[in-house]
Amino acid sequence: MSLVPAARLQDVTKRIGNRTIIDRVSLEVYPGEVFGFLGPNGSGKTTTIRMMVGLMSLTSGDIAIGGHSVKTHYAEAAAQVGAIVENPEMYKYLTGYENLVHYARMNPSVTRERIDEVIKLVGLEGRIHDKVKKYSLGMRQRLGVAQAVMHRPKLLILDEPTNGLDPAGIRELRDYLRQLAREEGTSVFVSSHLLSEMELMCDRVAILQKGQIIDIRSIRGAETQTSLEQIALFEVDHPQNALGVLEGRGDGRIEDGLLAISATRDQIAETNRRLVEAGIRVYGIRAKTKSLEDQFLEVTGGETIG
Amino acid sequence: MANFWKLVQNENMKIYRRIRAWIMLGFVVFVPVLISAIYIIASGDNDANNWEMMKLETTILYQLITIFTVVKAADSVAGEFSTGTIKLLLIRPWSRSMILLSKFVALLLFALLQMALCFVVTWGLNAALFGISSDSSAVIPSFSPVAGESVWVYIGLLYLYLFIAQVMILSVAFMLSAAFRSGGLAIGLSIFVLLSGSFITGMLSLTEKPWVKYVLFANVDLTSYLSGSTPLPEQNMTLGFSLAVLAGYFIVFNLVSWLVFVRRDVAA
Repeated sequence: MSLVPAARLQDVTKRIGNRTIIDRVSLEVYPGEVFGFLGPNGSGKTTTIRMMVGLMSLTSGDIAIGGHSVKTHYAEAAAQVGAIVENPEMYKYLTGYENLVHYARMNPSVTRERIDEVIKLVGLEGRIHDKVKKYSLGMRQRLGVAQAVMHRPKLLILDEPTNGLDPAGIRELRDYLRQLAREEGTSVFVSSHLLSEMELMCDRVAILQKGQIIDIRSIRGAETQTSLEQIALFEVDHPQNALGVLEGRGDGRIEDGLLAISATRDQIAETNRRLVEAGIRVYGIRAKTKSLEDQFLEVTGGETIG
Repeated sequence: MANFWKLVQNENMKIYRRIRAWIMLGFVVFVPVLISAIYIIASGDNDANNWEMMKLETTILYQLITIFTVVKAADSVAGEFSTGTIKLLLIRPWSRSMILLSKFVALLLFALLQMALCFVVTWGLNAALFGISSDSSAVIPSFSPVAGESVWVYIGLLYLYLFIAQVMILSVAFMLSAAFRSGGLAIGLSIFVLLSGSFITGMLSLTEKPWVKYVLFANVDLTSYLSGSTPLPEQNMTLGFSLAVLAGYFIVFNLVSWLVFVRRDVAA
């Protein structure tokens, strides 16, 4: 793995008039990582993405793609990026194939064989010579993915990629993105307001609100950290008695007939032993993990429009 | 960097893969046929001078060709914005300047193709219908600087001057397309420039103020030099002067297109 981040945003700021749309956003996307960019509508996700791909200028700060600044070395930076910005808008009067040829001509590394390969990859073989105006939204999404990955970019940027996809399509896209990240070392930068999607897809997420990053956190690996306290729920025959047994651990409480305590993994095992020794019957133990949605609402305070 | 011609190929594909381009080219063929047919039916004979007919049909068809070119030019940039395809176009490893240039080149080629088709059809059709007349004095005005020369010199210059005028209108349409990102506005204003040109020149000729000879409209129609006069008889104008003024406008129009296209954010 190279040491150069696939994308590095440094104090990226965008002002339009005297309104600050994006306020000192800094983050790094590592090689082979699926990075989620999460935020309510209007928080500035699309604006940030537009600056990353050179559609909008930066008021201050810098964005480097694979070490090349989009401000000073745009062509080198853009050569490493594949993207779908919002909806994949294609030339409707051209066929799917002609659309791909159009983008392939702009990138010297793409051969005819590669075009055929990506068509198979996204499963459009049967309809590729139809005009795009006859495509469903899902098919256009697939064509959008095809043009984005055609030149084997080091960084794939997708803005709300699951819009308009059916559940099977979403699942397919998710698997494909993870496969790209794992097998080809492609970094994926994906924006969404669908929290559950991000949880399944991403290694890390940044949460954006009102143009500012309010949190960047890892999603995978958090649950295996042994030192981390989590809430454990014990299903026992007499919750009140059980609470008595645990006297001395002040944070135990009863939630919906279950005994809930905050504990590390080791402490959960220890608690279980004490309950069993005290003659309490334990039917089940489960960790109460906070979903990303809970966390998201917690950090954004449930506010929606930034 | 891949070669620039591939960008032009892309723009060509976007022009000629649409049925409307072929309808336009169809009209370029159809209109001369129609005019010659009307002449034969109306006059009842076919003894017209083929050069005279070619000149007549070219001057009429030129207006139509310019309108077609304006329509394509107006759509070229504004159309990409209104359909949203501009986003996927501009995220490629090419500077915006090169993408804009490729569009302009493709439009010049489209204009050139129509002029070439117009030339071939109006010459071939009238030569076939009326025979090739040896009397060129009928078509070249007696005060023309090329009077006494071969008729081909006259026709060649006519096409050249009309093409230059067309490039000017094309630049206006292209600038408006890039600046306003609205195809309708660009088409409307450019056709206004095209159609009101002679009217405004007429008005300008009423005044003897020295600045009027720098106005675009007073210079865009170079064919008056070909018939031995000047666009504004009261002013001291030469072909070289008009060409220099047009070159100035050409640079300004395209500089504006370029500055606007390269600088402005692609939002919403």
